[in-house]
Amino acid sequence: VVLIRFLLRRLVMLAASLLVASFVIFAALYLAPGSPLAALAGGRTLPPSSIRVLEARYHLNDSFPVQYWDWLRGALHGDLGVSIVLRENVSTLIASRIWTTAGLVLYAAALIVLLGIGLGIVAGLRPGLLDTSTLVLTAVAAAIPAFVAAIMLILAFAVQLRWFPVIGNGTGFLDNVRHFTLPAVALAVSSLAIVARVTRAAVREEQGRDHVQTAISRSIPVRQVIRRHVLRNAAIPVTTIAGITVASLIALAAVVEVAFSLNGLGAYLVASAQDKDLAVVQGISLVLVTAFVVVNLIVDLLYVVLDPRVAAGGRAR
Amino acid sequence: MAWNRSLVAAVAITAVVPLAATACGRSTVSSGNTSPSSGLVSTTRPGTSPVGSVVWAVYRDVNSLDPIYAFDYPENTADSLMCESLLRQTPDGALVPGLASMSQPAPTRLVFTIRPGVTFWDGHPVTPTDVVYSLDRDRDVKLGGYYVIIFDRVRSIAVTGARQVTITLTQPDYWLPEQMASIGGIVIEKSFAQKLGQNYGTPAGSIMCTGAYMLKSWKPGVGVLAVANPHYWNPAVHPLVRQILVKGVPDVATLTAAMETGAIQGTYSYGLSTLDQLKSSRTVRVYEGPGWSTDVFVVTSLTGVLGDVRVRRALSMALDRQGIISSVYRGAALMPRWASNPGTFGYARGIFTAAYDSSPVLTQNISAARQLVQAAGATGKTLTIGTSSELADVTEVTGAYQAAAEAIGLKVRLDSVSARNYVDFYLDPKFRAAVDGFPAIPYGDWADPVAMLRVFELPAGVANLDNFNDPALTSLLLRERATADPAARARLIVQAEKLTLQELPMIPTVQPVTLLLLNKGLTGAVASFAYMFAPWADSLGGT
Repeated sequence: VVLIRFLLRRLVMLAASLLVASFVIFAALYLAPGSPLAALAGGRTLPPSSIRVLEARYHLNDSFPVQYWDWLRGALHGDLGVSIVLRENVSTLIASRIWTTAGLVLYAAALIVLLGIGLGIVAGLRPGLLDTSTLVLTAVAAAIPAFVAAIMLILAFAVQLRWFPVIGNGTGFLDNVRHFTLPAVALAVSSLAIVARVTRAAVREEQGRDHVQTAISRSIPVRQVIRRHVLRNAAIPVTTIAGITVASLIALAAVVEVAFSLNGLGAYLVASAQDKDLAVVQGISLVLVTAFVVVNLIVDLLYVVLDPRVAAGGRAR
Repeated sequence: MAWNRSLVAAVAITAVVPLAATACGRSTVSSGNTSPSSGLVSTTRPGTSPVGSVVWAVYRDVNSLDPIYAFDYPENTADSLMCESLLRQTPDGALVPGLASMSQPAPTRLVFTIRPGVTFWDGHPVTPTDVVYSLDRDRDVKLGGYYVIIFDRVRSIAVTGARQVTITLTQPDYWLPEQMASIGGIVIEKSFAQKLGQNYGTPAGSIMCTGAYMLKSWKPGVGVLAVANPHYWNPAVHPLVRQILVKGVPDVATLTAAMETGAIQGTYSYGLSTLDQLKSSRTVRVYEGPGWSTDVFVVTSLTGVLGDVRVRRALSMALDRQGIISSVYRGAALMPRWASNPGTFGYARGIFTAAYDSSPVLTQNISAARQLVQAAGATGKTLTIGTSSELADVTEVTGAYQAAAEAIGLKVRLDSVSARNYVDFYLDPKFRAAVDGFPAIPYGDWADPVAMLRVFELPAGVANLDNFNDPALTSLLLRERATADPAARARLIVQAEKLTLQELPMIPTVQPVTLLLLNKGLTGAVASFAYMFAPWADSLGGT
């Protein structure tokens, strides 16, 4: 019952965030300089009569509340509107791209969680050369922005070694994985390093705790101590940082999608915002905000599982 | 009149240059080519063997396949691949018959006779009704198309025979036939377009044209897929490539890497920051073809410091054009002698070339320029340049103009806007009120110097932002428009070019050449700027 109430509360919060986000984004785009007609006409000087026709067709002269209300009413009925630039339904345009972004983010998230946490645990538990080199490498990697990583990966693994393709999505699952590997690594590399470092620090800290030392001194098997006392307690900060970084991937994906010419939502969002293609920007934003909220929800649920003291709805410290 | 499209393209292309620069560092080994026509090729050796699949890059995704909304490099490239116009521009820019041949029984009557056997992809013959429908769509104000204005001297367009369409003019117009060899002259199938209505040329709909490549599918984000048309009406043309995917690749670094690995097999470009890298690539061959565009400094105000023609001349004189050719164009541009690119000499070439070659190159002469400024009493006055620090090329060209202005005793103020808002300098009078001018790369729709001159110099020209009005120039251009004899037209244009350099309603910066990047396994693509307006892949195939 507690859990259901918790979920319901989060659902209401999601709806509220979507409403607020849609309003803020719509208002920001409405106020930004330029007109979608400039994008449509490529800056050509259109005859005034053509401009009037286009303005009427896309309701560009309606006041802000009217435009927003029109959009909102449509959205509530499942109609996200029509792209001005492509004259195609926004839902169709999003559907054709959503799996690219989802695949990319999931792949990168898997890399972050598996490699980042794995590396952090190993480095935390085994001081020495491995630990030192992990520290140095992650310090460097954490400072590499995704677009730099993308260029370096393309140069090394696509142009020089030719192991991976430079652009495109590929067809079929294995081919998809091959096409998405470099983008996912580029997207993951800096977050992966951060997660590894936080994991390592958390593991170290838990190892130094009194109850861990006591347990070891009472000759409880080390393996068991590590699993029950070290990792379990270290899991809370690790989950926090992993959750935050994975959620931020959703926004970062745009950069990587452009660099690898992937037809994802992020790259499309950027292009549409520049073209002031309002309906598309709104539609993609809703998808991204939803994904962001859902990732946070999953993190919150993980807290409950990891630490029963955390009441559902509360937040781990 | 298409000048502003290229600006948008320049905006988008240059916006990603910093990425490429990060990857490859800067190299400035190339030096400018000062000889206007040396080494430029309009065509490449025709392909000889069949090819399965080619990915062709454009700088962003295609937005529309409807020719009435084709306004920029991606749309033009896709439309000219698949669709054909009434008349055609050859890679050299010459005007030849296309789907129809043209005769002119009177100065105000253009008669188009459709060639026998011309069919759409679906096998239906091209009829005069289709032609009239296509042109009427072009000039239908209610559709909001971009080619309405080219019909400003048209009284009527009517079917006048089984294979004949007649355009009646209100007064002679020798620009219109050229426009009928450009995007504005593309013929589409009436019944097909009517059935699709608003969906014609959108991803949800389709198109029906006549070309050697036909549309198979269009998935936004993936690209426009064209396949060889096995029943192409012209038996002399055999499309050799089974399918061509026209794909948007906005990032120059990605494009370069993809060309080098063979993931992309071809693209057209200009002023590419990775040109040296591509030229030395084992997989890519770079062809340099005649360009029809001019990199110019658009003068937006004649009330400020540039109001005095001596200051405009001085600014032009003090500019380090060689430096721009090396750093921005990596050598792929020519030193100007005229405002128009010599690549636009599509007819009366002897007259144009002789006059052009006898005109001096616009070389740098700072001391003479400084004296001009002093004589004008403009020393110490402020020149405000519109620019965008987000656009690497624009920033570099702006820097060159800033250096030139400061060297001749002017003060310079930069008004920098975002990459996207750069377009507003000529769209929005409020934006450009604050500046004296800004760099841009306009081009005309056909191979003729007048195609660009008219937009800057005629009082109603879309690029005439400074309300420039020189009666002599206006009268020359209007006489040219109404003159039948090509040689006589060329001589009028020669006069106009000379007067243009005296008056400088805009300042020519350099003349870009067209870059064709082709995988070494391919050959046969058109190498001149004509690719924007006429089929460019009809001879494309394996080497």
